[in-house]
Amino acid sequence: MGNKQTTFTDEQLEAFQDCTFFTRKEILRLHGRYRELAPHLVPLDYTNSPDIRVPPTLIVTMPELKENPFRDRIVETFSEDGLGNLSFNDFVDMFSAFCETSPRELKTIYAFKIYDFNRDSFICKEDLRRTLNKLTKGELTPEEVSLVCDKSIEEADLDGDHKLSFTDFENMVSKAPDFLSNFHIRI
Amino acid sequence: MENKTVNFMRLLSEDSTHSTVSSDSCEYYQTEIFDLLPSIQASRPEQSRKPSEAYQDGPVPGEESIHGHLSSGPRDKAPTQPLRNMVICIQGKRSVRDRRKMQISDIGFWVSWRRSQSITMKRVWEQMGGALSGLLPWQHTLHAIEGRYGFGVKAYFVLLRYLVNLNLLHCALIFGFIVGPTIFYGRSKSSEPLKFGGNDSVLDFFLGSGYLDRSPVFYCFYTPGSLNMQCLNTPLLYLAGILTILFLTLILVVRRTTVGYKHTWMLGKQYSMNVSYKIFCGWDFTIQDPAAATLKHSFIRNDLKLFLEEQSFSLREAQRTLGQRVRLYLLRFFLNLLVLSLLGGAFYLIYFATNKSQDQGIPGERQWLVILVLQYLPPITISFVNLLLPHIFRKISSFEDYSFTMQVNATLVRSIFLKLASLGIYLFFIFKHLKDQSQCLENLFGREMYKLCIFNFLTAFCNAFFLNYPRKLLQEKYPSSLLAQLWGKQCFLVPFNVLDLVYIQTVSWVGVFYCPLLPLIGVVTLTATFYIQKFSVLRCCVAEQRMFRGSSSSVLFHFMLLLGLLMAVATLGFNLYQPREPACNHRFSCGPFGNGQNVFNVTGVCVDSLPSPAQSTLSYLNSSAFALPLILAEIIILTSYVSRGRANQKAIERLKDMLVMSSSDKRFLVKQHTTLLRRQRNPCRVRPAAIEENQRLPPES
Repeated sequence: MGNKQTTFTDEQLEAFQDCTFFTRKEILRLHGRYRELAPHLVPLDYTNSPDIRVPPTLIVTMPELKENPFRDRIVETFSEDGLGNLSFNDFVDMFSAFCETSPRELKTIYAFKIYDFNRDSFICKEDLRRTLNKLTKGELTPEEVSLVCDKSIEEADLDGDHKLSFTDFENMVSKAPDFLSNFHIRI
Repeated sequence: MENKTVNFMRLLSEDSTHSTVSSDSCEYYQTEIFDLLPSIQASRPEQSRKPSEAYQDGPVPGEESIHGHLSSGPRDKAPTQPLRNMVICIQGKRSVRDRRKMQISDIGFWVSWRRSQSITMKRVWEQMGGALSGLLPWQHTLHAIEGRYGFGVKAYFVLLRYLVNLNLLHCALIFGFIVGPTIFYGRSKSSEPLKFGGNDSVLDFFLGSGYLDRSPVFYCFYTPGSLNMQCLNTPLLYLAGILTILFLTLILVVRRTTVGYKHTWMLGKQYSMNVSYKIFCGWDFTIQDPAAATLKHSFIRNDLKLFLEEQSFSLREAQRTLGQRVRLYLLRFFLNLLVLSLLGGAFYLIYFATNKSQDQGIPGERQWLVILVLQYLPPITISFVNLLLPHIFRKISSFEDYSFTMQVNATLVRSIFLKLASLGIYLFFIFKHLKDQSQCLENLFGREMYKLCIFNFLTAFCNAFFLNYPRKLLQEKYPSSLLAQLWGKQCFLVPFNVLDLVYIQTVSWVGVFYCPLLPLIGVVTLTATFYIQKFSVLRCCVAEQRMFRGSSSSVLFHFMLLLGLLMAVATLGFNLYQPREPACNHRFSCGPFGNGQNVFNVTGVCVDSLPSPAQSTLSYLNSSAFALPLILAEIIILTSYVSRGRANQKAIERLKDMLVMSSSDKRFLVKQHTTLLRRQRNPCRVRPAAIEENQRLPPES
């Protein structure tokens, strides 16, 4: 089943295949990309599952994430410590959630987590404001930003609490025609 | 449904916003019953519906410690959910997997190969789709233009490309019906040969006389040749070709107009006004190129600015007092009167110029330059009027206090009326003058249309290179000079450029009967215009700060095209029905309908040769006894469509309300179920909190 590789044990690769949407070859390729980010930090041999984490400043230099205005939030969402330091498990998990075969509900859940800046399980107006600023790179005035945020909450909020819970978000996204094709990182 | 807004407050209780009975988070997708919901099961195609080992006990302490903030209290769901779809990190999935001891743990070579194949196939399809859409000419240019200047400017270039394709289709039809038979079957023996000699000069290319007069460009070239059957001869083919062109164009333009109308005005409201889509689903995560990222940022910014513009206008409009409103309407009335008077003045100017140009004087008396200018005087006047007045209309509409989109559309409507009416008046005066001529009438008429086309193209060329480019250089080199400040920065004015396109296309349609190669000239000039305008937009213009809703304008563009087509058809019909004076063409056979023949003779001969049932059918279709039932049937069909549409609209509204209500019901029930379940599980932990909360906050139902 392919050439002999010493990066992972067979058991580890099977576990990865079950837990993610990647095949064996892709996982090995991902390990290569992970190692490229910090060759002195990441060992070639992962058979004993070393606990190595790459800092977020290196991860956001990847070409897939470099131009994304939400790159910091993406990396923080998938990190265990919440600061953006990704172990290889988190790295694979991140790209697995964004890949083509990942289902809509999974992407919706992660999208909600990414846009929820203060991590209170709701997208409130402050979260929206920060999302908008990242999207428009500060080209709108604060009043304009506030207006857009109000309109957005008004459109999507179904239960009238002036912030978006997960169900509001899911409902809104399910009607959007290009969510799946946009929310996808190819690696 | 009578009440449009559903009152959601009656479903609101504390459970909606936070759980009062359990300290665990009540995330919807982490509840026990979530996976058992039929809607979730239906959306999972690959499942092993094996009997589940009930993992209904609470969270395993070992798992909780691993996950930290990511998932508070992971629920080990029934084994019907695939591992990959769980929202916990890989360590957690590993331990879940170990605990489940799944039978399908070994994914095997075959399944993984199949999956990678399906991914590769999907990518190949995407690439092919991308390549095919890249084959559409100028796709990259259009994309870049849309990013920098917005949708309105792109709509202009899209229309330009559409017209190029349309003209190519015309060329193909003309070659098949008109030029082809003449090449294969020759012309009549008495036609003049096609040689460059005598009084011909290069000026002929601009005037359409002399050499060009005898060339295939104009009507008189296509004399009937050796193809002389009753129902298949050159004149009939010529007529059939022109009629096919007009009919096909009518179908295409009507279809495009109605499709655009459906997309933008009926469905567009949902998506284009929806700000939350733009914010949450607007960014394309696959972008890796910095230039593409900048483009996408400007897309999103433009959309948001459009929304803000419309909001601020509707706010202002709602705040108008009665006195302001009355004054505004009075102002609009006077401005419309001003517009009408300007139009009247323009039409008189054109009449004057036409009269002047038809006054030939003694040939040879004047310089060639003067002759050229006099011949071109009507097109010059028309172009001057069409250049000046739309800008005045634009200024006028800015005083009328409409929303920006409405201003653009109002200017558009006025300017199109100006252009088409001026063309119509010009044609009318030509007809009157040409009646007195003794030459080939059709060629004279074709010549006028030819001159209009050529002159328009030259104007566009000079405008771009001698007006816009120096203006841009002036802005760059001497930005503080007086001239630069007076002139100002220029933006690409979409409405006016679109009017030019529609105008030229109308001229082309009016003239195609008399100048069959006009579509070919049209293809060449339109392609050249594309590159000229691309240069003008990308190098000389800045992006307009105010956005207008280009989609409604593009529907108007197509509608104006339709108007132009109808005008062309009306002109052609009027011309063909004119009785021809026999004295005119006794000298030589001019074109396919020379020798005392006209359209009716030729078609009459053909109809007589048909079998008698066909003849009687045709005569019945021609009569008025057929027209009345036809009109009645059309009215009935239209009424049924309209009423069906209205009923569908009402049904859509009712369904939308039902959807919102049932999702609220579902959420409520899920939360109730979860809290009841947890209350059962942890009675001592939960109840004091519940009692306390219930005492402090009475439910708000």
